[in-house]
Amino acid sequence: MTVYRCQDSLEGIFTAIYQAYEEKRNHEDTILSLSEDPMLFAEDVSVLPDEEKTRKVMNTLRRRFGEKDSYSLCLALATEDEEKAQAVYGTIVEGLRSCCGPGRLFDDLTNNNIHKAFALARSANREVGRELEFVRFQELENGVLYSRIGPKCNVLTFIMPHFADRLPIENFVIYDDRRNLFGIHPARKQWYLLRGEEAEEPKLRFSEMEESYQKLFRHFCRTIAIRERKNLKLQRNMLPLRFQEYMTEFQ
Amino acid sequence: MDYLATGQEMSLMDKLGILTDAAKYDVACTSSGVDRKGNGTGIGNCVAAGICHSFSSDGRCISLLKILQTNECIYDCKYCQNRCSNDIPRATFTPDEICTLTMEFYRRNYIEGLFLSSGIIQSPGYTMERIYRTVWLLRNKYRFNGYVHVKAIPGADPMLIRQTGFLVDRMSVNLELPTAEGLKALAPNKHRKTILTPMRQIQNEITSNKEDIVLYRNAPRFVAGGQSTQMIIGATPESDFQIINVAESLYQKFQLKRVFYSAFVNVTRDKLLPALPGGPPLLREHRLYQADWLLRFYGFRAEELLDEKRPFFNVLLDPKEDWAVRHLEQFPVEINRAPLELLLRVPGVGVKSAQRIVAARRKVNLNFADLKKIGVVLKRALFFITCSGRMMYPVKLDEDYIVRNLTEKRDRVQFGSDGMTYRQMSLFDDDQFSRPLRAVEQLQTAMGQV
Repeated sequence: MTVYRCQDSLEGIFTAIYQAYEEKRNHEDTILSLSEDPMLFAEDVSVLPDEEKTRKVMNTLRRRFGEKDSYSLCLALATEDEEKAQAVYGTIVEGLRSCCGPGRLFDDLTNNNIHKAFALARSANREVGRELEFVRFQELENGVLYSRIGPKCNVLTFIMPHFADRLPIENFVIYDDRRNLFGIHPARKQWYLLRGEEAEEPKLRFSEMEESYQKLFRHFCRTIAIRERKNLKLQRNMLPLRFQEYMTEFQ
Repeated sequence: MDYLATGQEMSLMDKLGILTDAAKYDVACTSSGVDRKGNGTGIGNCVAAGICHSFSSDGRCISLLKILQTNECIYDCKYCQNRCSNDIPRATFTPDEICTLTMEFYRRNYIEGLFLSSGIIQSPGYTMERIYRTVWLLRNKYRFNGYVHVKAIPGADPMLIRQTGFLVDRMSVNLELPTAEGLKALAPNKHRKTILTPMRQIQNEITSNKEDIVLYRNAPRFVAGGQSTQMIIGATPESDFQIINVAESLYQKFQLKRVFYSAFVNVTRDKLLPALPGGPPLLREHRLYQADWLLRFYGFRAEELLDEKRPFFNVLLDPKEDWAVRHLEQFPVEINRAPLELLLRVPGVGVKSAQRIVAARRKVNLNFADLKKIGVVLKRALFFITCSGRMMYPVKLDEDYIVRNLTEKRDRVQFGSDGMTYRQMSLFDDDQFSRPLRAVEQLQTAMGQV
């Protein structure tokens, strides 16, 4: 039994998978673990993230499974599940062995690893979709748009391209307060991620008009509801409470 | 007390309130059907799946800034709160106000785009022209590249509708009421023919635009998100059968993207309208949407779901379950062999799970545990399927037995507060099975008062 101890990141896990193939391990007898819990009778290998190896794995995934399925694997790795590394590893092994072809990686949902990776990717994808909907920007004094989110999984990388495409001429920042991560988009330039130095949120000064647009939108949301159809349970199903604390219309 | 003067002093907040309130009964608030990348110079892109940005307290999504340009109207439709004989505050947005609101809301990610409708001022042509001006300004001066949905005003010049179509992503013409008689009774200024004319025009323009795009890749797109319409449910005594037949022919003959159903809310208290003491017919609306999905994605035809003898949907069973228990000769379906079309007809199996079943069974033989992983709702499906020739439990393929089990766990109080159970429904009660609905009952069901 071999246990690869890797960092909880896409690079860490992909590097471990690369090494498992490079060292020609028996994949049935190899485990990827994110924790430090020791295992009896197991050979421990600790893995340092490596950019080159990550890129190679990514290219192989794209070539063999297609754009959509390799994207799903990345989504699965954005969740906070402890078994995600093993599930993705198992899925990749199964996919490469069966030569499933592009777009067919998740066909065999009866396989436990594939089903697990599929379920993780689905839940992360749902979270990404919801953040696309529920991100609320506030305009700061200097015209920068600022937003604070607190998603369940690490979705910032997945939502930034959408907003960069949508608001190319704006300077905007999305701050993930659970991971202390900033997504920064300077106007007309490439976006990037920045890990926050201090945990405390900077004091923000909003622009003159910000308050009045927030009021207008709150008024709009109140007015658009039809009283005869009132259904708060449906509202909560569609828009869970954990998002509402970040949203303008519920403040 | 000068009316005009007060109108001009009105703040943006008041106007937004009045014109949102006037637009809220329009249901077609989706932002789907178009995939468009940002152009790098203006603001905005579109996602084909559509994005809902918020949900109001009635649980409906807020996707677009849904407003009227003005709620002044020369028409006198009985069901509409903006009818000219109704005494309510009136307001009008200037095109620049609409554009600024849209842009500022959009860049804060409050909305996905603009939904613009209008009361009829002066004439349909004049109204359409004002809508066109606003959208033109939004696209060209404010360089907005997001989603825009506008109403085509029946009776407007076809040239205006054509020009507007090149600026927007979706257009809709409201059918308002499912039959011409209903329209005549409640909307004296509207006629079936004038409503269908722009609908046909938009359909033809979309078709010819598709051919243009094949030839010239950069030709401007005409109504890329397709057109939609809506019908008010429960204001007139049409049956569900009539309504889904109308919907089916709209999908087939007019190639509509969506038909929306709007449970009637009585806001004008007109004497020609039903009183609806039990609130709007929400369950009926829900059943119609379920049937609509069966028509569009599951390969059902309208006459399979209902017929003249039973013109209304079952209250306790959804349309698919209802169809299945009446066609038990087609079941059980063998999961590992049945074609996709047959899988789609099993209650508890949706489009996605049917596709996953077809993909997964290429590699392995599926059993019931696998079906659960795939996402099949077994509590509904188990009466209708076998895996490798076995059913999940020994169940009888018997109509009464299955109906009893399907409805057992559900909240009966909700649908039958008068102690009504499925046994008393004329639908499944053998001695009453052939009795035609009395006119009063038909009316009651139509109003959603059962």
